[in-house]
Amino acid sequence: MAVEAKLSHTAAMILQAISAGYVYGFSIMEVTGLPSGTVYPAMRRLERDDLIRSQWEKQSIADAEQRPPRKYYKITASGRSTLEASRKRYPLLERLMPVEEARSL
Amino acid sequence: MKSHSDFAFFAIQRTALHTASLLVPASERADWSREWLSELWHVRQSYVRLDETIALESQGEIILFCLGAYTDALCVRELAAKSGPRRPHIHGSAAQALLWLSAIFLLCFLITSLLPGVQAEREASRFLVNPNALVISEATDRSYRPSIPSGLYLNWKYTHQRFFQDLAFYHVKRESAEAVSSSPVWWNVARSSTNLFSLLGIPLKFAVEDNSGLPSVVLSHEAWMRSYGGDPNVAGKLIRIANKNARIAGVAPATAWRLPGAPDVWLLQADTQLANELPFRTQGFLIAQLSPRGQDVMQSSEEGISAHNLEGMLIDLSGTPIVAPVEGLWNLFGFSLFLALVALPAVSSVSLGETHMTSHRPSAREGFRRFLFLAGKFVLVAGIGLFASIDIAYCCTSSFSPTAECLQLVSCFGICLAGFRWALADQRHRCPVCLRRVTNPASVGLASRTFLGWNGTEMICMSGHTLLHVPSLPTSWFGDQRWLYLDSSWEFLFADSAVY
Repeated sequence: MAVEAKLSHTAAMILQAISAGYVYGFSIMEVTGLPSGTVYPAMRRLERDDLIRSQWEKQSIADAEQRPPRKYYKITASGRSTLEASRKRYPLLERLMPVEEARSL
Repeated sequence: MKSHSDFAFFAIQRTALHTASLLVPASERADWSREWLSELWHVRQSYVRLDETIALESQGEIILFCLGAYTDALCVRELAAKSGPRRPHIHGSAAQALLWLSAIFLLCFLITSLLPGVQAEREASRFLVNPNALVISEATDRSYRPSIPSGLYLNWKYTHQRFFQDLAFYHVKRESAEAVSSSPVWWNVARSSTNLFSLLGIPLKFAVEDNSGLPSVVLSHEAWMRSYGGDPNVAGKLIRIANKNARIAGVAPATAWRLPGAPDVWLLQADTQLANELPFRTQGFLIAQLSPRGQDVMQSSEEGISAHNLEGMLIDLSGTPIVAPVEGLWNLFGFSLFLALVALPAVSSVSLGETHMTSHRPSAREGFRRFLFLAGKFVLVAGIGLFASIDIAYCCTSSFSPTAECLQLVSCFGICLAGFRWALADQRHRCPVCLRRVTNPASVGLASRTFLGWNGTEMICMSGHTLLHVPSLPTSWFGDQRWLYLDSSWEFLFADSAVY
């Protein structure tokens, strides 16, 4: 990215949550306390700006667990550098949520 | 085990998601729906209790979760619109403005055609009561209480009358009425002489001939709307009035003036039946049609009548005409339109800003197109004013009312005035060549610093035709906006029509 995107606090929180291993919409809602009407649109914008990338879970994994497959989100390299910049801007960002073990995509 | 309410909530939640998916562009809808339905499944699973049910409060939270899908769908739509190619030919164009106005016009028209009150108003202006029909009551009683005994009516009806051409009578009593398939209701039932509606000069709606021998009843417009939902096939149906069968002969049209006693239904009876069923002293309402001689006398004696009562004593009576002024939708519209046009110069400059900075003048064809566009906007705004004001006036009432007429007049005036003002302001910011709105306003100079220099706002036509100068501080040498026609040296700036 030629120019680093300046994120709002909400978008930075969501990016931080994805970076911390909360990789689908509902888990991000739970950890950030934000409503679905905020989380999902923010993720669309982050994905548009190539800060995160989405990928559908393999059908076989979902079938084995007898549930529908989920769409997982993963932070990209440019997302990581943007998050670093946002952490400087919002120093308390890292303390807002616990780190969860990232799920394998 | 899942309860019925669980299934109902699940259906509501899925419906919310499916409805929201309609907002998403078709190319992305399947993926979007799949993600949200999957998330819904997981959200529901997280709320499931040990007995495999979901608490009511949790169902509310899940519904809130689903409502967020609408925001998301709108966001996806917005992002898709931004990433797609712009359409400069429609954006900000004259066609776009006319399309928007037409859409609003059609919406208002559609709402108007669905409002029952509008139908009632049209009927009220079409079915006018005979101007020579009067309600006769005792002179001392102006409160429209029943004051004429049925015996007196029969006495007068069958003796020669100098002032009245015809007489009708009705007596109102609260009685039970019951359609064949519905529960009984209490209505104001008017036992009336058969000539009542012919005397009033009001034809019945959906009137049918009935040879079954059953008594005929006429429903009031309000009762028809209330109890039969405006069913046009109501005539001929059976109804029980005071435990006796009767057949509906028709529906009284909505009128501007309601007969005293506010009857819901008229049970039409011959005079002999009235004489048998109503005691002679039963008081009711007397409706009279004036003869030509009666009209002359009424005009000269200020509605005063003297007559003998059943005891042969002279009593004073008064006659109140059964007419009410009905202005009609179109008359009100015409008047408010006239008022709006008269008031327009008071709220907006009627100048279209035709001053030019160069000697270039738009062609006659361009001038005519511009005029047609302005005229089209005015016509559509007037149409919106007509139908939107009717919608406002009759959205809360299903029958004719003078208040609604007043509301229509005021709202039509307001909408037309605001609309015309907008049409003129919009026209002033339209490029005279292509009729697209000029955009990209740039502030030039500060009035406080460049007192004698140029200061104001400049806007440009995105097709590269013109530059509009609007002074921020009108002066004697630059008071009105001016157009600068751009020559071919500007063309390189507008080479790509898709770029703004």
